[in-house]
Amino acid sequence: MNKLKAAIIKEILLLLRDRVGLAILFIMPMILIFVMTLIQDSAFKTLNEKGIPIVFVNNDNDSLGIEIGVGLRSSELCTVYDSINGKPATAETARQAVADGQFLVGIVIPAGATEAVRKNVTQLVEQTLSTDPVIETKVPDSVDIKIFIDPITKKSFIASVTSSLREFISGIKTKIMFRSFAEQIAEIIPDKKKTPSNAFGQTQIIRYQEIYASKTIGAIVPNAVQHNVPAWAIFAMFFIVMPLSGSIMKEKTEGSIFRLHTMPSSYLMLINGKIIVYVLVCLLQLALMLSVGFFFLPMLGLPVLQMGHSIAGILIISVATAFAATGYAVMVGTIASTEQQGAIMGALSILLLSALGGIWVPTYVMPQMMRNLSAFSPLNWSLEGFYELFLRGGDAASVAGSALKLMIFFVITMVIASFVNKLNRRA
Amino acid sequence: MSSNAIIETHDLLKVFKGSDEPVVKGISFSVQRNEVFGLLGPNGAGKTTTISILCGLFPPTSGKVTIDGMSLQGDLAGIKQIVGVVPQDIALYPTLSARENLNFYGNMYGVTGKVLKDKIEAWLHNFGLTEAANRRVSTYSGGMKRRLNLIAGILHDPKILFLDEPTVGVDVQSRNVIIEHLQALNKKGTTIIYTSHHMEEAEHFCTQVAIIDYGKIIAKGSPAELIAAYPGCTNLESVFLHLTKRKLRD
Repeated sequence: MNKLKAAIIKEILLLLRDRVGLAILFIMPMILIFVMTLIQDSAFKTLNEKGIPIVFVNNDNDSLGIEIGVGLRSSELCTVYDSINGKPATAETARQAVADGQFLVGIVIPAGATEAVRKNVTQLVEQTLSTDPVIETKVPDSVDIKIFIDPITKKSFIASVTSSLREFISGIKTKIMFRSFAEQIAEIIPDKKKTPSNAFGQTQIIRYQEIYASKTIGAIVPNAVQHNVPAWAIFAMFFIVMPLSGSIMKEKTEGSIFRLHTMPSSYLMLINGKIIVYVLVCLLQLALMLSVGFFFLPMLGLPVLQMGHSIAGILIISVATAFAATGYAVMVGTIASTEQQGAIMGALSILLLSALGGIWVPTYVMPQMMRNLSAFSPLNWSLEGFYELFLRGGDAASVAGSALKLMIFFVITMVIASFVNKLNRRA
Repeated sequence: MSSNAIIETHDLLKVFKGSDEPVVKGISFSVQRNEVFGLLGPNGAGKTTTISILCGLFPPTSGKVTIDGMSLQGDLAGIKQIVGVVPQDIALYPTLSARENLNFYGNMYGVTGKVLKDKIEAWLHNFGLTEAANRRVSTYSGGMKRRLNLIAGILHDPKILFLDEPTVGVDVQSRNVIIEHLQALNKKGTTIIYTSHHMEEAEHFCTQVAIIDYGKIIAKGSPAELIAAYPGCTNLESVFLHLTKRKLRD
């Protein structure tokens, strides 16, 4: 017990005196969380909230133009502008402004569009209700609504805009059609004359409700904070590969390991001191990163980190992640022959595993092949555990699978490290 | 095993992985209790490899080693309890102070509490390091590091002390202090196995020496016996040069 205590004290002292190592452990991940969350939050707003700038030119000034304008303005998809640099937008200035990148999308409703729709619909209704067997069938005039698109605009967003436009136009066509039918019927049956009702157009027969599938009531909406805080905390925990493998390498190069191997202490006992200290460091890192998400990010106008309702779940996945990260660092430090080799091997492998594990980009935007590969990254197992708690409202039982995988990973890395150490000493 | 031998080696052979040439080629020797045994030889002769095998750092390719009645292959843990090692390279944590280093190594040897504290203070005082005891080792001179390196290997009062060139690169003052304290330890009953390139130092310090070259022992005996055995040789250095010749080694 005294040996373990001495090994722990030694590791703590070595760590406290390694300022670069401390900066890597605590300051770098905090900066990453701030920067990545701010960047992704801004991107998130641009794509999903009111950030998309649209220039809207209404030359129609009748029902169709007015309805589309009102519809776009009430949408959460975009912000609608009808002037450019203080002057009312025209089709030409709108096209130019989109080409200049001032707006992502420009929509031009041509003059007389409502009238053309009304005329076409009335004509179709007349043809339908006519008793004349030889009525001439006319092809309706089309209404050309122009949409200017900045080439950088995402296809999914263009699809959303055009879909919304179709919805508005379809609604207006239905209203006009209903009114026209009512007028035609009133002419055929004069004693049933009634003022056409607007009720049809205002009635929403089918409604949609968007609900995030969560295990608890009061769903947590995914946002940049909910992804980035756990993601970069996990990254930071695994990045202890740098100071820890460095510490193991220094013991080799500075000769301490020579003396340690001649002492009546096992390799496992020596490594246990490191494991205990670095597992605690990992947990400290996580606590710090979660505090950043909870206390500091809201000060920058970002959403507060929601941590679900299971403290036991957070503890289980955190401890399992800390052990997996520490085991990985011990393995790298044991396998590497030089400090430089350990640093390169450690840093590159963690960057690769984090990219694969969905730390940089969520796995759902990856191609299927990469999504399959991500299942092999321990960082992904950990992230999935935190998603389960922070987004899906899971509890301790729902993170048990991820935690078990991480602990098995820890055991495997320790077995490999022990085997490599024995192999090296047999030289 | 001879009656008073504390170390006995028989046909010790070591071939490192990836090499065809053995570094140690079947050497046999014994060290008596309370001896100061010098293992002398030019660079690359196999001294450090032999000491590394004896203190359990890596196993021999073949051959037998018995230390204080325990087999190296069968009771390594027991052997580690009774030996102290002072490696050729400074085996200390440069960012820790002398006290912190000694506290750690003392505990690793199983010395704890007040006993350890008293030993640390006594040895720091003996080697003139008390004032610098709380300074980081990285700020020490070469001589101070050598002295501290030695203390770290003797805190647990080992029965057998392996010293691999303990005075290399130090000034005369530090060397004298180191040798004086090693002689005092030997008087108290510690058997010392020592390697060095300082023939004059070895001649005065060692009770027995073995000269090793190209992995083989080429001469054994007390310094006086060896000097007498080779006519024309007036000291251990001349015996050494006579036996190992003047060819430069890798």
